[in-house]
Amino acid sequence: MKNQRKKRTLFTQKICRFCSEKIQHIDFFDTKLLKPLISERGKIVPSRISGNCARHQRQMTEAIKRARNIALLPFSVEH
Amino acid sequence: MRNYQSILILKPDLDEAQVDQSVEKITAIINKFGGSVLKLDKWGKKRLAYRVRKNKFGYYLNVYHTCEPREVPKLEKEYQLYELIIKYLVIRLEESDIERVMSQEPVESVIKDDEGDEGNNSSESSDDDE
Ligand SMILES: [Zn+2]
Repeated sequence: MKNQRKKRTLFTQKICRFCSEKIQHIDFFDTKLLKPLISERGKIVPSRISGNCARHQRQMTEAIKRARNIALLPFSVEH
Repeated sequence: MRNYQSILILKPDLDEAQVDQSVEKITAIINKFGGSVLKLDKWGKKRLAYRVRKNKFGYYLNVYHTCEPREVPKLEKEYQLYELIIKYLVIRLEESDIERVMSQEPVESVIKDDEGDEGNNSSESSDDDE
């Protein structure tokens, strides 16, 4: 039990970038903000890796999906 | 009446006059359905993340406007029919969104972040020749 908890905290120790920078609103067209949150293949980086809190991860996912719709971000990277 | 944001991608090879002409046309479309333009930003020519109707670049316009909710499908239809628009996205905004938008400067990163280094597209655009 004790071990399990220790393992989990390893991940949750990461801080949410949006919270720490006090970003109130994520604009979907702010590609400079969103680009670091997609992988090289164009996939959304999961929060367990990025360290984003659930609220901001959700907002960010919505923003990325909108940006993809209007060709500001890729769905997947072309080869 | 509600607030909306329309992002429009125009053909990339338009000159200044054609861009102004399409801004007028888009304003007219919005007015046609009883709406009015609240704010319009020209983001300019940007590299598209994927090809849109064979275009690798597009000229972005960002328009905040009002519209009667039931007229939105007709508005979108007009966007579709306008030959200089290659892609569009209409988003409904909440009252808090529009207040924030009207008080803030246009997001600079979207304009600066053009990545469309005109220099390196010469090699890539060769397959676009007609
Ligand atoms: Zn957060």
